[in-house]
Amino acid sequence: MQVVRWLNRWLNHLEDGVIVAILLMMILLAVLQIVLRNFFGISLVWVEPTLQNAVLWIGLLGAMIASRRDEHIRIDIASRFLSPRAHRWLAVAVDAFTAGICGLVAWTSMGFIRGEIEYPSIAFAQVPSWALQMIIPVGFAVMAVRYTVLTVLDLFGQRPPMEEPHA
Amino acid sequence: MIGLAILLLVLLALLGAPLFAIILGFAAIGFFSLETDLAVLHIDIYQLANSVVLMALPLFTFAGFLLSESRTADRMMRLSQACLGWMPGGMAFVALVACAAFTALTGGSGVTIVALGALLLPALAKAGYDPKFNLGLVTSSGSLGLLLVPSVPLLIYGIIAQQMSQQLDMPNVEIVDLYLAGLAPALLMIMLLYGYCLWAMRKDPVPKQEFNWHELRSALWEARWELPLPFVVLGGIFSGFLVVSEAAAVTALYVLLAEVVLYREIPLKKLPGIMRESMVMVGGILLILAVALALTDYLVYAGVPEKLFTFIQTHVESKIAFLLLLNLVLLMLGALLDIFAALVIMVPLILPVALRYGIDPVHLGIIFVANMQIGYITPPVGMNLFIASYRFKRSVTELFSATIPFMLVLLVALMLITYVPELSLFLVRN
Repeated sequence: MQVVRWLNRWLNHLEDGVIVAILLMMILLAVLQIVLRNFFGISLVWVEPTLQNAVLWIGLLGAMIASRRDEHIRIDIASRFLSPRAHRWLAVAVDAFTAGICGLVAWTSMGFIRGEIEYPSIAFAQVPSWALQMIIPVGFAVMAVRYTVLTVLDLFGQRPPMEEPHA
Repeated sequence: MIGLAILLLVLLALLGAPLFAIILGFAAIGFFSLETDLAVLHIDIYQLANSVVLMALPLFTFAGFLLSESRTADRMMRLSQACLGWMPGGMAFVALVACAAFTALTGGSGVTIVALGALLLPALAKAGYDPKFNLGLVTSSGSLGLLLVPSVPLLIYGIIAQQMSQQLDMPNVEIVDLYLAGLAPALLMIMLLYGYCLWAMRKDPVPKQEFNWHELRSALWEARWELPLPFVVLGGIFSGFLVVSEAAAVTALYVLLAEVVLYREIPLKKLPGIMRESMVMVGGILLILAVALALTDYLVYAGVPEKLFTFIQTHVESKIAFLLLLNLVLLMLGALLDIFAALVIMVPLILPVALRYGIDPVHLGIIFVANMQIGYITPPVGMNLFIASYRFKRSVTELFSATIPFMLVLLVALMLITYVPELSLFLVRN
């Protein structure tokens, strides 16, 4: 149990650190590109694809972090009319479904990437395309695990109160 | 069997399952029924890394978060009061202009009510306006400005439209064109609302405030680091010197320097937290966008838009009737769904159909966002009604009745925007 907690904390810090670093890099690289192009007439070929892939990484990392506290965008109509007890059992179904579909995407995506690794193609510079795409199966796998944990917590009525999605 | 699965998904959506999971479910069932390898989901999600403009989303959102974390709302309020407060119905006009500008910059319309509304409400009361009027004004202004540059909903619409233009025969949709097209409709909304404010207080006019040079000068001085911001954004986008994503990067860097270094309102220690929070929101939107791209891929592949068109055409003949129907559906969806979710789900379905009725895709984008904006305050589930109810500690029913006159005015604006395409297109197509 101790190890799991430690792992969880470590993963959280890693996600936070990487997403902040990518955002900073994105701002600086984009501005650098503008300065180089307009004042020095230079254009670095690897900047554009790096920035585009950074959007993908930010998207998935942000989504992973959002699933920690189940902060994803949803239509929440039923919960206003349901008793807490009914709500608890419905939460089991909803979270199990979310975990399942994330798992499915992680699985098929990993299958696709295995093919890419076998016959690697270069995205830009020396970076293989599969390394950039790796965030997709990893992201969905992490979300699947988090929603599985939530499902179990629902079952035992231990789910911590979640925050409303950011308005 | 498939019908049952679809029913189950709808049920799960109503029970509060994350929308991205629901959309993925639909896409997965769709591709499964076409006997397509589900690895296509991965390929579609990877399209997030395919867009040159999408980068503007995290960057503008981050800039917006920084602005709402610092005291920009106070300065914007003071400055617009010093500039416009002397006019008849001055404070009401101040509220409209400040809300529109703040929403354009911060995107999320809930933020406007929480940050600016809390300043505007007491200021309006102090100036002598009726409390119920104020409540309605502030709540309905909370989503004003969604059509103004650098509006994120318009950006999302543009990205989906560009994605679809690869498969459809349609005129080009440039993000810049959408921003140009949004200007006149946004101004129309502001002017109509202002006109209503003047009319509402015709019997009992509020005393005018005096224009004060000294106050204006010190308000300008206080806002000195933020004053260049509109020029950075507008100049960057419209001058052709920068593309939209670059303008977003410059904006983000500029706001970062202004709030952290020049104003020193955001301590360096708090910065990573703000970055993280803003990117979590962006992640939620991007994830929905990514899975919606997968669903769009399936829908187009399965020919759903054509079927929808044939179906609609048997019941709806004229363009006018189609637009009316569109308005009704979008208003309802805008009230029920998050704006981004509504966009990514509805644009792929509606855009191909609207093209067949001869509607310009740029005009359609404006219609979409204008509807969503009003959806925010449409009873009984418009999100801004609840945010305002929570923020101002008033019952939701009280807010319904306070907002309804303003909503009717906005509906008039919506009619004009929908049925007079030139209003949106005169700057774009000539």
